[in-house]
Amino acid sequence: MTPTAALLRLATTLAACALSSGAVRAADPSPELARSAQQLAATTCATCHGVSGRSTSPTFPNLAAQTAPYLNSQLHAFRDQTRADPDALAYMWGMASQLSDPTIEAISAYYAAQTASPPKTGDAKLMARGKQIFEEGVAAQGIPPCSSCHGPQARGNNIFPRLAGQHADYLVKQMLVIQSALRAAPVMHGVIKDLPQAQMRAVATYLESLGP
Amino acid sequence: MKQIGRNVERAAPYADRLRERHRTHRWIGAQAALLALGLYASAAQAVPSFARQTGMACAACHTVYPELTPFGREFKLNGYVIDNLKQIKGVTMERRETLSLNSLPPLSVMLQVSYTHTATALPDSAITGALAKDGEILFPQQASFFYAGKIADNLGAFMQLTYDGAEDHFGFDNTDVRYARYLSLEGDEGGGASPDAAPSKHSLLFGVTLNNNPTVQDPWNTTAAWGFPYSGSSVAPTPNASTKIDSGAAGIGQNAAGIGAYVWLDHAFYAELSAYSAAKTGGAHPLDSTQAAVLTGLAPYWRFGYEHRWDRHSLFLGTYGIEAGIHPGNGLALSGPVDRYTDTAADVQYQFIGDQHLLTVLASYIHENQRLNSSVANGLASNSSDSLGTTKATVEYSYQRMIGGALGVFSTTGSSDALLYPSAGGVAGNANGSPANRGFIAEVNYLPWLNTKLQLQYIGYSKFNGAATNYSGIERNASGNNTLYLLVWLNY
Repeated sequence: MTPTAALLRLATTLAACALSSGAVRAADPSPELARSAQQLAATTCATCHGVSGRSTSPTFPNLAAQTAPYLNSQLHAFRDQTRADPDALAYMWGMASQLSDPTIEAISAYYAAQTASPPKTGDAKLMARGKQIFEEGVAAQGIPPCSSCHGPQARGNNIFPRLAGQHADYLVKQMLVIQSALRAAPVMHGVIKDLPQAQMRAVATYLESLGP
Repeated sequence: MKQIGRNVERAAPYADRLRERHRTHRWIGAQAALLALGLYASAAQAVPSFARQTGMACAACHTVYPELTPFGREFKLNGYVIDNLKQIKGVTMERRETLSLNSLPPLSVMLQVSYTHTATALPDSAITGALAKDGEILFPQQASFFYAGKIADNLGAFMQLTYDGAEDHFGFDNTDVRYARYLSLEGDEGGGASPDAAPSKHSLLFGVTLNNNPTVQDPWNTTAAWGFPYSGSSVAPTPNASTKIDSGAAGIGQNAAGIGAYVWLDHAFYAELSAYSAAKTGGAHPLDSTQAAVLTGLAPYWRFGYEHRWDRHSLFLGTYGIEAGIHPGNGLALSGPVDRYTDTAADVQYQFIGDQHLLTVLASYIHENQRLNSSVANGLASNSSDSLGTTKATVEYSYQRMIGGALGVFSTTGSSDALLYPSAGGVAGNANGSPANRGFIAEVNYLPWLNTKLQLQYIGYSKFNGAATNYSGIERNASGNNTLYLLVWLNY
């Protein structure tokens, strides 16, 4: 591991610890709240994010099996209007504006418990290149392995989101908005600030091909 | 937006025919020109009050307004009730909710200012041989006020009041009040309508709509109320033959009250049955012989379709229609023989919604069977049975929802009927009793903001009221009615 990667690793681990022990820690919602969150998810969220959080359009991310702390932090960021990429503004600022903290926790727990989307196989060459980036990083650009935060199977880790089975188009768009700082994600911004779009596409294609 | 000419019954040929008996052809020519407006100009809105209620940008529900995205269709089918505003609540001791009201009313305003130029100037309405001013600015063409949004949980409304500049008239416009709720929810766990229900394999949304215009409740953009073109000139002549379901306010639209029930299964299958009865604003009430084109009894309306969504694409295949009995009225008693119209339509809609590029293809065919018992008995039609067929196809493209265009073609053919489509009538006369018309519509749109549209539209006719040249015996060609239309369309 390069010194940069080691530092990043340390920073992200500390960030995860801080976040997981802080305000966004998910607690088990009461049964009543869990039912109400499930109704909300099925009648409202499902309109874009699909049945049980498995969406059709890559405009809208899959939420099924996403980590609860990540969902929790993002819903807070939408509600507080601190996540400001174009789709966040257009869709989620409104949708999250009236959510209470307990509801956010319950929705996060609901989606975390759902079965992940089935994988989608892409171009073999791209997937191979993506796998390499994901597992080994890009040493020349000082980019650490994605797996060091997102887990060896990209199933996420606490505040670091699950990426496995996510729409490739969505992942590329998120990397672009994080790279351009439209979406504030300082750790990830530091990691991918020099990542070319072709490599984003490769790693996203690989990630979409990963199963539950 | 109202269907243009809706208050003047312009497409009811009976009105023109009866007037013809008593007034000069010159008057009729001018009047009919005014009356024969708006066949291709259909209703259309994007309503910022929905954005205010949901907190979502226009782009969530619209490709380019008023055309809906899949989410926009869901929002409509769900009863316009998705809200993200603070609520004013009422509740009983038994925890029954008695009120759930937006803290801010979902209100908005629409303003349209337009310029129209026809290839050949129109005749003066009073002086033989003179011409009307060539080039018409309407400020406003329309100004509308909306209440569009939630009334209570599961109950919402789209209501429009419109001032029409050409008619100098303020009136009730398109309205759709609907109740909708899920009877079953698809999900991995507890997916039934009841939170404790077993996981369901299907989602089933049930809704009821109360509206004043058949197709105003439709979420696809292939039908009359929300079909292409989404706006058009209210002063340029348009062909005078169109099917009842496609005539908007000139036919049944906004002259009827309808109630219907629909189901939306698995966000894919749609089925609706509605029934419409006469409900006119203005004029004599109870409705009598001074009213024109009055529905008799209940007119059944049906709509079935299937939408498939994959990745960024959606494809819809559907059918709809209406069976309407109509008394011509306008001097004739609302009794005795009835004219019956049976409209059957098939439609297709395809959408691709990318981040940069958006593409929509719309196509429809409508066949109308007319049994004109009343019109024949009263000398308003020659044939007891006539038919009309209208075909339309449109391709729309937009780049970043900012710059875009559309190209559409249209064609109507039908049986010739010398009394139904007489040659007298000046600009609105027909050649050889033929209802045929054919042409294209080209549009360029620029939206500096999502709620403002600057539009340039050109309509070219290769056939108008039955012929390409000298169609009504006043040396006017179909191409003389080619229309250049500029529009500033603001929603706020």
